[in-house]
Amino acid sequence: MGKKIIRQVAIYGKGGIGKSTTTQNLTAGLIEMGKKVMVVGCDPKADSTRLLLGGLAQKTVLDSMRDSEGDVQLDRIMRTGYKGAKCVESGGPEPGVGCAGRGIITSIGLLERLGAYTDDLDYVFYDVLGDVVCGGFAMPIREGKAKEIYIVASGEMMALYAANNIAKGIWRYAQKGGVRLGGIICNSRNVDRENELLRAFAKELGSWLIYFVPRDNIVQHAEIRRKTVLEYKPESNQAREYRSLAQAIEGNEHFVIPKPMTQERLEEILVEYGLMDLVEDYKI
Amino acid sequence: MPFDFTSTTFGIREERLGSLVGYVGSIRDLAEQSCRGSLKDRGRCFSQSSSCDAGCAMGYITHIRDVAMINHAPSGCTAPASAIVTMQTQLADKRSLPYNTVVLGTDLNESDTIFGAAAGLKQTILETWERYKPSAIFVTTSCVSGIIGEDVDAVISEAAEMLPVPVVPIHCEGFKSKVWATGFDACDHAILSAIVKPPQKKGNFVNFKNFNESARADIVEMFESIGVKTFFLYSNTTIEEISHISEALATVSICGTLCSYLGNGLLEKHGVPYINTINPLGVVGFEAWFREVGRVIGKEAEAEAYIERERAIYIPKLEQVREKLKGRRVVLGMGSSFAFQIARVVQELGMEVAYVTSWHYDSRYDDGNPPPHVQHLAASSPVDFPVNIADQQNFELMNILNTYKPDLYLGRHGGTSIWAIKQGVPAIFMADEYMAFGYKRTLSFAYTILDRITNRSFEKNLTARIKLPYTGWWYAQDSGGMYEEAR
Repeated sequence: MGKKIIRQVAIYGKGGIGKSTTTQNLTAGLIEMGKKVMVVGCDPKADSTRLLLGGLAQKTVLDSMRDSEGDVQLDRIMRTGYKGAKCVESGGPEPGVGCAGRGIITSIGLLERLGAYTDDLDYVFYDVLGDVVCGGFAMPIREGKAKEIYIVASGEMMALYAANNIAKGIWRYAQKGGVRLGGIICNSRNVDRENELLRAFAKELGSWLIYFVPRDNIVQHAEIRRKTVLEYKPESNQAREYRSLAQAIEGNEHFVIPKPMTQERLEEILVEYGLMDLVEDYKI
Repeated sequence: MPFDFTSTTFGIREERLGSLVGYVGSIRDLAEQSCRGSLKDRGRCFSQSSSCDAGCAMGYITHIRDVAMINHAPSGCTAPASAIVTMQTQLADKRSLPYNTVVLGTDLNESDTIFGAAAGLKQTILETWERYKPSAIFVTTSCVSGIIGEDVDAVISEAAEMLPVPVVPIHCEGFKSKVWATGFDACDHAILSAIVKPPQKKGNFVNFKNFNESARADIVEMFESIGVKTFFLYSNTTIEEISHISEALATVSICGTLCSYLGNGLLEKHGVPYINTINPLGVVGFEAWFREVGRVIGKEAEAEAYIERERAIYIPKLEQVREKLKGRRVVLGMGSSFAFQIARVVQELGMEVAYVTSWHYDSRYDDGNPPPHVQHLAASSPVDFPVNIADQQNFELMNILNTYKPDLYLGRHGGTSIWAIKQGVPAIFMADEYMAFGYKRTLSFAYTILDRITNRSFEKNLTARIKLPYTGWWYAQDSGGMYEEAR
């Protein structure tokens, strides 16, 4: 019997699009399905696991490395959150000093050396900060780590612009490695014709809209209480949506090398599915 | 060129001087394109490693004997310090002077790279003062401090307010320039910005910028014969001494590359004349240079009298050896000043220049004019010999030596001359910058060459017993085949 393969998944998307919220609720959904999941926050702000842990009071990998002068213990940096979710925050320097990208590289390397990737895991999620500002933040999809990428987007232009740029990065790494785009997750902003736009965008990339997560204020209510929606209101519609997202990820077999589009083509799609209405709005 | 000594940073050679590290052509094309301003750097699709400006800066600033240098860098970048300090200590010992300069490193590690190491740098500066009480503290930057954007200037400003001596940044990140000689400029910028004081009075001395001052005694005697003292820098100097170089009659140098920034900067900031003729190597170079020194400091008659005396002694002897060297073919590999200055000396001695490979080339110096030695050589050379600009690219050099099969290779950096010898070409490692200075040393240089090309048993025996890494395919290629088109 072959060695069990851990599905290592990286979640990218524009800053503020809802990557951390989506990742944690998705994680909660997978855990309810009986999966073992580890979430690695790859953001110096170290807020990627707040909902699973019920707070931010976590020692980051890099803080721990600095304080202990190399003698880092795994149990000091990995905490267990909602229903057994393993949570790690990479952490990083204060804004304006040092090199956060290098921190991600160091952090993931350290996690591997410390044996964080145990055989019992079904999934490892990397929640990467929005603006992939340098090679360090591409670390999870290099060197054979995350093989599956999901891009969180919405119908807003800049979200799609960022998503297309991320697709370019995935395309580059896919040429030499096994990294593939698993799909686009829409975290809805209630933009007109958002579902159609995202489907068209994903199709143009050669991928698909794996799930459309509707907008619901219950997500904000849960976040204020430092909980995932599945923990806060397990019977709510939104909790069911996240469970469905988890099932879609679990059953996904649609992995592609994306075909990033030109800026002109992206704008054509936007005009066709979204911004066209704006022109009508301003007719006298 | 206007210098900005209020800023801690300065323009690299590529920006200031239109410097190149990739060119294939000839001496006349190089000279003409320098005048036209049409030279363009060419990249390579393959390149061997070379040196960096940070290493150059470390080797140069540590010539001063009463300072501390803090290298804000990983420990590997500071590793050459032990060899450098050993050499500087020996240079000081030759003159019975104490050498108290210390080199320290902040030993940037992975954690420092991620979180920054400003606090550690400040602590190192303060601790350096407590332990060593240097006359000045220079903080050199590195690739790592540059990549993470460490605000070294802010740290230095804070520390400087707490200390009674200058604390000065030397911005010499290794990737900053492809031309490692930019490290000289980094040191000179720091010196001119923070150490040199406005002149209080005019002194009766010339600044002589050099490396290891091996010809010190002769040069002191030479200038004394025309009634002027000599101040060599930076070897064996102190901060107090350097602070007065603005009071000099003139600045002279053994190397145009070495002194462009300091010489022209001192002229612009404090009005000290800079002698920017061809350098005093060989008879032609020495006489042009010394006559100009005499003219600028008002000692023309004395300079002429010195030249006349020396000519009487050495010119007949030079003529004798010249006959024995006549027709020998030489390939040279050196820095951008020495390569062309020594090529001129080679021709003076009756030999032929087969090829010159220069580590880099400055299209102009800081006075805005093309390097005078290249213009001079283009005009005086009987042939338009081939030239490339390639920083210690041994694979190209081996191809060139194989193609041109010279009688001699002259290299000023040891890593190249040994390869020539391995290929069976007699070579001289011209580590001493004064090897062809003035009359006496030009004569000595000529006899060294004669000795070297007369007895070739070392090259013959060595080359018969080693296998070189290059294949017949590479030797059959054009040595410039790895160059990209100029853009």
